Amino acid sequence: MSTAPWVGQSLPRKEDRRLLTGEGQFVSDIVLPFMLEAAFLRSPHAHARILAIDTRAAAALPGVVAVRTGADFAALGPILSDLSVPNLPGVTQRPVFGPMPVDEVLYAGDLVAVVVAKNRYVAEDALQLIRVDYEPLPALLDPELALAPDAPRVYPEWRDNLVYAQEFRHGDAAAAFAQADVIVAERFRGHRCGATPMEPRATLASYTRAQGLTLWLTTQRSHIKRHLLGEYFKMPDSRIRVIAPPDVGGGFGVKAPLYREDLVICQLAMTLGKSVRWIENRQENLANIGQERDQIHDLELALRRDGRILGLRDRMLADCGDARVPIYVSFSMPWLGAMYLTNGYDIPNLEIDLKCVVTHKAGLTPSRAFGSFVPRFAIDRIVDIAARRLGLDPLAMREINLIKTFPHDTATGVHCDSGDFVGALAKASAAIGYADFRRAQTAARAEGRYVGVGFSLGIEFSGLPSQILVPMERQPGFGVASIKLDADGGVQLAHGDQAQGQGHDTTLSQVVADELGVTPEDVKVTAGDTQSSPFAAGTLASRMGGYTLSAALFAARGLKPKLAAIAAHLLQLPLGEVGDFEFAGGYVFPLGDPARRISLARIAETAFLAPTELPPGMEGGLEFTAHFEAATSGMQSTNVHVASVEVFPETGRVKILRYVAVDDAGMAVNPMLVRGQIHGGVALGISNAFQEEFLYDAQGRQTTDTLQNYLIAAAGDLPHIEVIEHHVPSPHTPLGSKGKGEGPTGMAPGALGNAIEDALSPLGVTLTQMPFTPERIWRLVAQAAGRGQE
Amino acid sequence: MNRAITVRVNGTLHHETVDHRLLLSDFLRETLGLTGTHVGCGYEGRCGVCTVVYEGVAIKSCLMLAVQADGAAVLSVEGLARGEELHPLQRAMHDCHGLQCGFCTPGFLLTMYEFLKTPVSDPNTIRAAMNGVLCRCTGYVHIVAAVEQAARELAQMDPDERARWFPL
Repeated sequence: MSTAPWVGQSLPRKEDRRLLTGEGQFVSDIVLPFMLEAAFLRSPHAHARILAIDTRAAAALPGVVAVRTGADFAALGPILSDLSVPNLPGVTQRPVFGPMPVDEVLYAGDLVAVVVAKNRYVAEDALQLIRVDYEPLPALLDPELALAPDAPRVYPEWRDNLVYAQEFRHGDAAAAFAQADVIVAERFRGHRCGATPMEPRATLASYTRAQGLTLWLTTQRSHIKRHLLGEYFKMPDSRIRVIAPPDVGGGFGVKAPLYREDLVICQLAMTLGKSVRWIENRQENLANIGQERDQIHDLELALRRDGRILGLRDRMLADCGDARVPIYVSFSMPWLGAMYLTNGYDIPNLEIDLKCVVTHKAGLTPSRAFGSFVPRFAIDRIVDIAARRLGLDPLAMREINLIKTFPHDTATGVHCDSGDFVGALAKASAAIGYADFRRAQTAARAEGRYVGVGFSLGIEFSGLPSQILVPMERQPGFGVASIKLDADGGVQLAHGDQAQGQGHDTTLSQVVADELGVTPEDVKVTAGDTQSSPFAAGTLASRMGGYTLSAALFAARGLKPKLAAIAAHLLQLPLGEVGDFEFAGGYVFPLGDPARRISLARIAETAFLAPTELPPGMEGGLEFTAHFEAATSGMQSTNVHVASVEVFPETGRVKILRYVAVDDAGMAVNPMLVRGQIHGGVALGISNAFQEEFLYDAQGRQTTDTLQNYLIAAAGDLPHIEVIEHHVPSPHTPLGSKGKGEGPTGMAPGALGNAIEDALSPLGVTLTQMPFTPERIWRLVAQAAGRGQE
Repeated sequence: MNRAITVRVNGTLHHETVDHRLLLSDFLRETLGLTGTHVGCGYEGRCGVCTVVYEGVAIKSCLMLAVQADGAAVLSVEGLARGEELHPLQRAMHDCHGLQCGFCTPGFLLTMYEFLKTPVSDPNTIRAAMNGVLCRCTGYVHIVAAVEQAARELAQMDPDERARWFPL
């Protein structure tokens, strides 16, 4: 049996039991009386004009309640507003669109019609009876062609195909390149891939005149969606309730945007006066969401002969697809990726020319690593490529260029408040046995075996402060939590960051339990329902560990003076300071005097049921709400990953020998859960880097439409992931804790790409592109050997 | 077209009349209200989260019709615990943090239920046995650890006691 202090213990989760016994509650598990099911008809064409839609046969099918097309939603007007478009320093153009296209589809998978029926089987039958007359139009699929001045425009009213463009300038890059001994330039091409949670989207809307609109949603941010829905449907927020149920099957950013389907389902519920549910199937999930990372970097480093990086230039091009993704408009990911491009390296002079174009593909949606997956691959790779050019060891090259002292402001303006790369890199190199590995590598090469090792560095945000999140998403960076006691002394904690598996209930309970002297089991945590949880931006950007956890701590701490005052009164002690009292074991007592104790239950009973016994003049009730905004413009963690691999040049297969993550969570409230976040993050990164890719054919139809060909890594595809903690407490949070979740994913491609190229270095291979499929590696080896392309 | 079927699910006989084309996964979820069985792919059998034990064998319930299960016995996640007492694998998943969002968890539990009838605690063998179910949260590390723990515990158990944890 565990005892306090709870913080720092690897407690198994409170969330587990319901999920292990089949009692979890996901949106698709909720059934309302007389609920109808919706199914969408989607475009088979990347770009086409809709000439006519005949829905008569579908509407006549028994069991079908309604068939609707874009024209039926046209009166609702455009979705994007100043609330749902990033307000960043660059030049933006805004796509104008409603919930469903009326006469033109812009990617394969775009919405064409929706059927509402008594069940999903009938709804899907009806979809097959809808006749659509399309006029296929040329599809713009290549982001570089989209840049050309004479390129056809995806949105004819725009000046060009640029949804966003910004030039980042810091220091004097021209001088740095003029002074450089060596300039290294490479093109790094990211591939379209992303997060793809195991639970697809689901939306259930219900409307009554009395209650207004109630929406159960697989979402990471119920409050923001409620506010956007209120704006869109011209209803007061008070008439809308958005509920993310206790269980959402993975989010990873994909469940953060407001989606057009949500608006369609809401409108159907309101116009039909029935509850309408839509459960996304995997084909439409793969065709529409979870696609990110589609970037090209023409990256150059200016270097001194001794390895010091003097400057950086990058022409960064992101293929944003149709960009019809409210809140993100598909460009805030590449923007943040550019902001974090230099990452753990101290690069004083830079020029980044970011261009984000639209094409006839699905719009980019956020995915864990948020815009940084490819930038971090590129920067970690080019450092190794430069090291080889200079004849330097990649480890030494990192030691020369990493950020050595904190706080540090990067050239793009990212404030790095705390961290320790020097120590983390030393731990990583010790863990992998770097010197021994190099000796073993030499011996292996003598036997004709190709083994290699690679490092990556990571500056990873721990939440985003309001200074960044307000312009980026018109949302607050603060964390928020409310504590109230029940009349029996039970502790209720409501907060703004509903979980999708991260274990927030358990972690927050540990923090609150220590503060109030109860057990984590005594703390009931709720989030996700706009009716019962305080307003916050939601779960994103590793906010919880830094921001929301601190808010929970301050909420509990904020309640204590009143608890102490009531205790003092009931114990007939002079009214002391809160510091004169101890909170432990469910009791409040004078410091060092547990014999004179009074239970929280008794205090609560007094505050709620017998206010006549409260100190004179004190109000009844027991609750406190805290908003936490760190007093800094950026909280970051510093992390180093190292991987070793063996590559088999005859087949191109790569075997990951070891993967070691040295990670900084500031302090781990629950070390087991922190390890779980790192494992999962790294696994996503490896899966993305090795085997996942959304592929479009020459006509822009997506060929990766099932999990049989969009290949998510199974257990046998992945190595064991070793985790070494290397915490640097944040100076800006009460416990020193930092977020951990978003970051580990972006570490994987750099470490592994470096290891693969290191293994193949006798063959002179340069690896600048993912995924690291056997075919790609084999071709690189074949090309390097002069055997030509085939 | 409808047909009357009788299926024993978690030890209880259910007599239902169902559409011929109703999938076993939908039968469990929508007809019987056993929503612990989840659906994560396009009924193509790849994600594995809908896995149940059918006549002692782990199968993907989205790839089978309810009418095919007529007369058969099925075990779903709701049937693993004995009252309040969790199955050793459920407990190990809890101890080792083998689940995060929990959406895929029933698939792993039922897949490894069959595997653990003959408990093997070698991590590579365990990994290979889990390939039919996908997880996006855990990176599988803690799931492997949980199955190892359960395998060790079951291997040390008296055979009769162990058999009681594997009713199907």
